[in-house]
Amino acid sequence: LSLEHERDRVRNVLRAKVREVLGELPAERIAAAASLKDLGANSVDRVEIAALAMEDLDLDFPLHELGDVGTIDGLVDELARRLTVTRRGAES
Amino acid sequence: MSVGIEAIHPYLGQAAIDVRDLFAGRGLSLDRFDNLMMRRKSVALPCEDPVTHAVNAARPLVSRMDPSEVERIELVIAATESGLDFGKALSTYVHHHLGLPRSCRVFEVKHACYGGVAALQMAAALVASNASPGAKALVVATDVAGALEAPLRREMVEKGEGYHEPSSGTGAVAMVIGDRPDVLELDAGAHGFHSFEVMDTCRPVDNHERGDADLSLLTYLDCLEGSFADYARRVDGADYVESFDYLAFHTPFAGMVKGAHRRMMRRQRPGSTPDQIDADFERRIAPSLRYCVEVGNVYSATVFLALCGVLAHESSGKERRVGLFGYGSGCSSEFWSGVIGARSHRRFVELEVERALERRRALSIAEYDRLLDLNCGVGFGVENGSVDVEAFADLYDQQVRGRGLLVLRRIEGFHRVYEWS
Repeated sequence: LSLEHERDRVRNVLRAKVREVLGELPAERIAAAASLKDLGANSVDRVEIAALAMEDLDLDFPLHELGDVGTIDGLVDELARRLTVTRRGAES
Repeated sequence: MSVGIEAIHPYLGQAAIDVRDLFAGRGLSLDRFDNLMMRRKSVALPCEDPVTHAVNAARPLVSRMDPSEVERIELVIAATESGLDFGKALSTYVHHHLGLPRSCRVFEVKHACYGGVAALQMAAALVASNASPGAKALVVATDVAGALEAPLRREMVEKGEGYHEPSSGTGAVAMVIGDRPDVLELDAGAHGFHSFEVMDTCRPVDNHERGDADLSLLTYLDCLEGSFADYARRVDGADYVESFDYLAFHTPFAGMVKGAHRRMMRRQRPGSTPDQIDADFERRIAPSLRYCVEVGNVYSATVFLALCGVLAHESSGKERRVGLFGYGSGCSSEFWSGVIGARSHRRFVELEVERALERRRALSIAEYDRLLDLNCGVGFGVENGSVDVEAFADLYDQQVRGRGLLVLRRIEGFHRVYEWS
C-alpha cells in the first residue's frame, strides 16, 4: 500500500467525519476547503473531527501531537504518515 | 482518618455579560455557537481583583466557624494565575483581611488552571499527616480574566481572534480542608496524574492570555485519558462508567467537557451509541455545569465550580462518589475522587449561591468594554493608583455599597489597600 493510497483513505474518512460533526455539506465545498475552519468548524468541532478520524483509522497516538496541523492537507499527510509507520511497525 | 472539604463557597462576581451579546459585539461567528454551551460570563468590577474575589469567597465560611475553629486554620494557600506581584503573595492579603491567626503557613501557588487542585492536595496532605491533629487549612482558588486595553481588543477582533474571550470569566472558590469533611471526603490515595511540557496556553505578560485553542483542547483530551488511566492503575476495579455517580471536570467551556466525555466513552466503552453517551452525560456530568455555563472559565477555581454544581444538584443526602479532573495548561493534570454525603447539599445551599448568581447585574457590550478599560488601570505592576468609584457609580451602588464585601480602594507604593464596602 502506497502513501498515496493511505492519503486517499484518510481523506475519505476525514470527509465522513466532517459530515458527522458539521452536518451535510456540499461535496464541492468540502473538497475546496483548505482548513476545517473554512467549513465553519469551531475548536470543539475541529478536535472532534480529528479524534473521530484517528479512532476510525485505528490510530493511537497522543492527540496533542496533531497540534501543529492547521490545514486539511496537513492533517491528511500526518495521519497517512502515521498509518504507514504503524503498518511498517506491524510488518517488522 | 477522614480528610476532605469541610465547607465550600464560590464568589461569582457582581456583573455578567450574555455570551451571545459578546459574540455579536465582537463580530464572532455564531454558526457553531450552540455546541460551545455557554450562557453568560462574570466580569470583574474595577474595585475587584483576585484578592477581593478570594476574600469574598472565603469570608462566609470563616464567619460561620466557631472562633476556636478559626484558631486551628494553620495553612492558607491561594491558587491563582492572575498574580499581582512576582514576590509578594496575594495570600498575605487574604490572610490579613480574614483576620486569621498569625500562627499560620501562608503562600500562593501557580499552575494555570491546575493551581487550585495543587493547593487542595497539599492542604489535604497536611491534614492527613496528622502532624498537627485537628489542624485546618483554607484553600482559595481565585482568578480574573486578562483585561486587554482597547487598542489590543480592536487588534484581536481585526485578526479574527478572540474566541477565547467569551469563555474567560472571573471568580473564586474557597474551601476549608480538615478532618470533618462534610462536603467531600477525599478517597485516600485515589489519584492519577498525566503531565508533560507543552506550550498550549499561557499568560506571558500581565493581562495577555495567549495560546493555541486546538492544541489546548487536544492536550486536555490526552490528559483526561492519561490521568484516568493512571487513576485506574492505582485504584483496584476503577471504571470510568461504573465507579462515579457524578463527574466534575475543569470546564474551559461546557462544550469542551461534553466533547471530552464523548471521547472517553468511545474509548472506555467502545460501541456506545450517541444516545447512550448523551444520556450518560445528562445524568453524570450536566449537573456540574450549572455554574460553569453562567460564570465562564475561572481558571484555577473552575473544577471546584463544577463540584459546586454537583453539590447544588444532589439533594438526596445519600453517599455519591464524584470523579474529578483538573487540568492546567503547560501542562499538569490529575484525576481524583471523593464522596459527598448526608450534609453536603445542606452545607452548600445554606450559603445561597443561587441568589448571588441571580443578583449579578447584566451588562451591555458598551458597559462591558468600559469596565475592561477601567480594570486595566489597577492591575499588576501599578505603583500608585486609585479606584474611581464615580466612574461606575451605578454598578457600585447597586451591587457593592453597604454589602460588606472587600473592595480595592487604592494602590500606594505597590501596596494594595482594601476596605469593606
